[in-house]
Amino acid sequence: MPILETRDVTKRFGGLVAVNQVCMTVNNNEILGIIGPNGAGKTSFINALTGIYKPSSGQVFFQDKEITGLPAYKIAKQGISRTFQNLRVFSNISVLENVLIGAHCRIDNPFHHIFLRPLRSRKIEHQAYEKVIALLKNVGLEEKKETLAKNLAYGEQRILEICRALASDPQLLILDEPCAGMNSMEMDTLADFVKKLRNEGNTIVVIEHNMRFMMTVSDRIIVMTAGAKFREGTPEEIRNDLEVQKVYLGEQEAERC
Amino acid sequence: MDMSFFESKMGRGLLFGGLTICLLLTPTFVTDIYILSIFNLMIIYAILCMGLNLILGFTGLLSLGHAAFYGIGAYTTAILMTRFGFGFVAAFCASAVLAMIAGIIIALPTRKVRGDYFCLITLAFGEIFRLVATSWIEFTRGAMGIVGIPIPKIFGLQIVTETHFYYLGLGILTFTYLTLRAITKTRYGRAFIAIREDELAADTMGINTSIYKIMAFSIGCLYAGMAGSFLAVYQTAVTPSNFRLEESCLMIIMVIVGGMGRNLFAPLAGVAVMTVATEVFRSTAEYRMLIIGLIMILVLLIRPQGIFGSSSFKN
Amino acid sequence: MLGEVILVGVMVGAVYALVTVGYSMVFGILKLMNFAHGDTYIFGTLICLTLLAKYNIHPVLAILIAAIAGGGLAFLVELLVYRRLRAPQHRLISMITALGAAYVVQNISELQWGNQVMSFPSIVESKFVTLLGLQVSVTHIITLFVAVLCIAVLILFMRYSRYGKAIDCVSQDMDAASLMGIPINRVVSSVYFMGGVLGVVGGVLYSSAYNAVSLGMGFRGTLIAFTAAVIGGIGSLGGALLGGMILGLSENLIGVYVSSSYRDPLLYSLLIIMLLVKPTGILGNSDQTKV
Ligand SMILES: Nc1ncnc2c1ncn2[C@@H]1O[C@H](COP(=O)(O)OP(=O)(O)O)[C@@H](O)[C@H]1O
Ligand SMILES: [Mg+2]
Repeated sequence: MPILETRDVTKRFGGLVAVNQVCMTVNNNEILGIIGPNGAGKTSFINALTGIYKPSSGQVFFQDKEITGLPAYKIAKQGISRTFQNLRVFSNISVLENVLIGAHCRIDNPFHHIFLRPLRSRKIEHQAYEKVIALLKNVGLEEKKETLAKNLAYGEQRILEICRALASDPQLLILDEPCAGMNSMEMDTLADFVKKLRNEGNTIVVIEHNMRFMMTVSDRIIVMTAGAKFREGTPEEIRNDLEVQKVYLGEQEAERC
Repeated sequence: MDMSFFESKMGRGLLFGGLTICLLLTPTFVTDIYILSIFNLMIIYAILCMGLNLILGFTGLLSLGHAAFYGIGAYTTAILMTRFGFGFVAAFCASAVLAMIAGIIIALPTRKVRGDYFCLITLAFGEIFRLVATSWIEFTRGAMGIVGIPIPKIFGLQIVTETHFYYLGLGILTFTYLTLRAITKTRYGRAFIAIREDELAADTMGINTSIYKIMAFSIGCLYAGMAGSFLAVYQTAVTPSNFRLEESCLMIIMVIVGGMGRNLFAPLAGVAVMTVATEVFRSTAEYRMLIIGLIMILVLLIRPQGIFGSSSFKN
Repeated sequence: MLGEVILVGVMVGAVYALVTVGYSMVFGILKLMNFAHGDTYIFGTLICLTLLAKYNIHPVLAILIAAIAGGGLAFLVELLVYRRLRAPQHRLISMITALGAAYVVQNISELQWGNQVMSFPSIVESKFVTLLGLQVSVTHIITLFVAVLCIAVLILFMRYSRYGKAIDCVSQDMDAASLMGIPINRVVSSVYFMGGVLGVVGGVLYSSAYNAVSLGMGFRGTLIAFTAAVIGGIGSLGGALLGGMILGLSENLIGVYVSSSYRDPLLYSLLIIMLLVKPTGILGNSDQTKV
C-alpha cells in the first residue's frame, strides 16, 4: 500500500528545472533509496515534498490526503519527518532538548493548560521527556544528553539529527545524504540502524551517494538525473543497468578531476 | 568556583530561599530613599528585560522598539487613571493587554520579513510611537507628558512610599518570573529556542514558526506593558522621553550584558550592572551615550554570551 | 509653485541618493545595517562647518578634508567594530554593535559641537535665477549638479574599474571572491571609506542648501538611507538612486502641501510599508535560500 505518492512534481528556479515531473510512490514499511549525481534534483525534490519549497506544479499525496504546497510545519504534523543534507541540529542547546524539540508536535500540551491545568501540563511534558530518554538510549546517546549538540562528534550529530526526526513518531522518515562525511565504519553502523528502524515498522526514504550503502540498505531504488526520474528497480536491477552505470561512471570521473 | 552545589536541588532551594528572604527584607535594611528608588528602577528594568529575553534570548528576534510597548503600558495607565477614573488594578490589566495586542500587530510581519528587516520595523514603530506621544497633544499632552496620576490602590491598600512601590514591583517581578518559567519549561519555550537556532529546521519539526514568533514577541510585550503601568503610578507622570530608542537599546544591552537565553535570571545581572553604571555616571550625563555605546560594542566583541549567559545568538 | 517644489524635491532626492548609495554598497557587501552611517557623515559635515566658519578655508578644500575625515571614521568603525563580527551568523549581533557605534560617534560629535541646530554657511552665493519660467536658487542647481556628478562618477567607477568589479565580486559571494585572490578586507575597508566620503559630500550639500546642520540629522540620515535603500532595493546602486528620489520628492511635496511635521511619520511609514509589501524593493530581486 503506498503511503506517499507524487504525481508529476516539478520545481523550477527561474529558468532552471530542478525537478522535472517526477512520479513515484513509497510503500508502507519499505526503504526506498534515491540516487543520482550531484545536482540531479534529489534534495529539491525532497524539499518540494516536505513543504520547504512549494512545487511549481504536480501533486503530492500522503496517506491518501493531498499535501501539495502545505507549509512545512503542517506536513511535519501529518507525519513526514526529515533530516538535512548539510546537518541542521540545533547546535547551542543540549542533545536532550534537540530531541525534545523533535517531539514538539506530539506533545499534546495546549498553552492555557500551563496555567489552568499545571499538573496535567507537567505530566505530559514528563511523559515526553521519558519517551525521548528511551529514544536516546536506543541510539546510545543517553549519556551525552546534557552535551551541547555542537560538541558532539560529527557522526554523533548525524545520529542526533535522525533521532530528532524520529522523536515525532513519523509515518515516513526521509534521510538526505545521512552518510555524508562519515567513515566506512560509521556508515556500516548507520546501515544497520536504518535497517533496524525499518524492521521496527518505519517507512524510510534515503538519499545517498554511496552505492555500497544504498545497495545494502534499500528495498527499491529510484535513479534521478537532471531533475527527472531515470530508472526504478531493485538494487540488483539498478546495479546491473548499463545506463545507470554510465551516469555514475561519468560522475565519478568528473569527481576524480 | 565550584558551581555544583548551586546546581544541586538542595543548593538551589537554599539559594532561592535566601535570595527571597533578602529581597523581602531589603526595605528594612535599606532605609535610604535614594537607594530604594534605585532598587525600584531596577525592578522595572528587570520586568522589562525578562520579557525582552523571551523575545531576544529565546526566540532570537531583535526588537528595537521595546520601549514603545513599555510606553503603551505607561500611557494606557496614565490616561485611564487620570481621565476615565479607572482604578489601578483595572488600568494595570488594560495596559498589559493593550501592550500585548500592539505586540501581536507589530509581530505579524515576522511571518514574511527577515530578521534584520523586522528589526527595522520595530525601530520605526518605536519612533512612530514617540512621535505620536509627542505630537498628539489633545490625547497625550505632548512633550509635557501626563502628570498627576493618582495614587494607586490595591484592594484598599494605598501605595505611596518607596517601600510600598518596592513590594508592588517585587510582586509584578515575581509574577513575571513564575509565568515565564512555566512557559519556557514546556514545549513552547523549546520551540522559541528552536526558532532562534534554526528557523527552517524548527519548521520541519512541526513548529508553526510564524505563530510562535508572534507569541514570544507579544508575551514579551505583555510584561513591558506591566512595567509601563507600574512606571506611570510610580513616577505619577509619563513623558515621551521615557520611551526613546535609547531606552530600547539600554534594555537590549542589559539583556546581553547579563546573558541571553535559558537562564531567566541572567538578564537581571545586566540590569543591576547597567542601572548602577548609569547612576554612577549620572554626573557625567554628557558621556552617557558614549558609555552605553562602548559597553554595547565591547560586551559583544569580548563576551557575547554575557555574564551568565549560556548561549549567544548562534556561534 | 509645483514646478519649484518638484525641482527642490529632485535636488533633495539627489542628495538622499548620494547618502544612500554609500549605505547601500556597504549593505550589499556585508549585509549589515550600518546604524552609524548617518552619524558618521554628520561628523564629517560638522568638521566641514568648523573648517569653513572658523578657519575660513576654501570650500572645495574644506569639503575634501571633511570627506576624508568622514571616510576615515567610517573606515575605523568598520575596522574596530564590525570586522570581527562579519560572519553571517553574527548579523543580529553586529546590528547591535552598529547601534553602539552610532551612539559613540554621535556622543563624540555632541561633545565637540553640542546638539543645537547650527547655521551652515552657503558654499555658493545664494542667488535666484529664472529657468524655464521657474524661480530657482543657484545653490539648489549646484547641489543637484554635484550630487548627480558624484553618483555618475561612482557608477562609472563601479562598472569599469577593476576595483569596482572586485567590489561586485565580493558582494556576490565573499568566499568565492576570497578564493579568487581578491583582498576582502581591503575591499570592505575601501567601500566603507567611499560610503563615508559620499555621505559627507551629501551631508555638506544638504546642510549648505538649507543653511543648517544639527546632530539630530545623523540618526535621521541613517533612517533616510535605510528607507531609500529599502524602497529601491537594498544593495543596488540604481535602487539607491530611485529610492532617494522617491523619498526626496514625496517628502518635499508633503512638506509643502500638507505639513512639514508629517515628514518624519512619512519616513517611518514608508519604511514599514515597504518592508511589509515588498522587502526586496522596487529594483531588488527575491532570492530563495538553498537548503
Ligand atoms: N534555492 C535554489 N535556488 C536556485 N537553484 C537551486 C536552489 N536549490 C537547488 N537549486 C538547483 O537545483 C539543482 C538541483 O539541486 P539539488 O536538488 O540540490 O540536487 P542534489 O540534491 O541531487 O544534489 C541544482 O542545479 C541546484 O543548483
Ligand atoms: Mg542534495
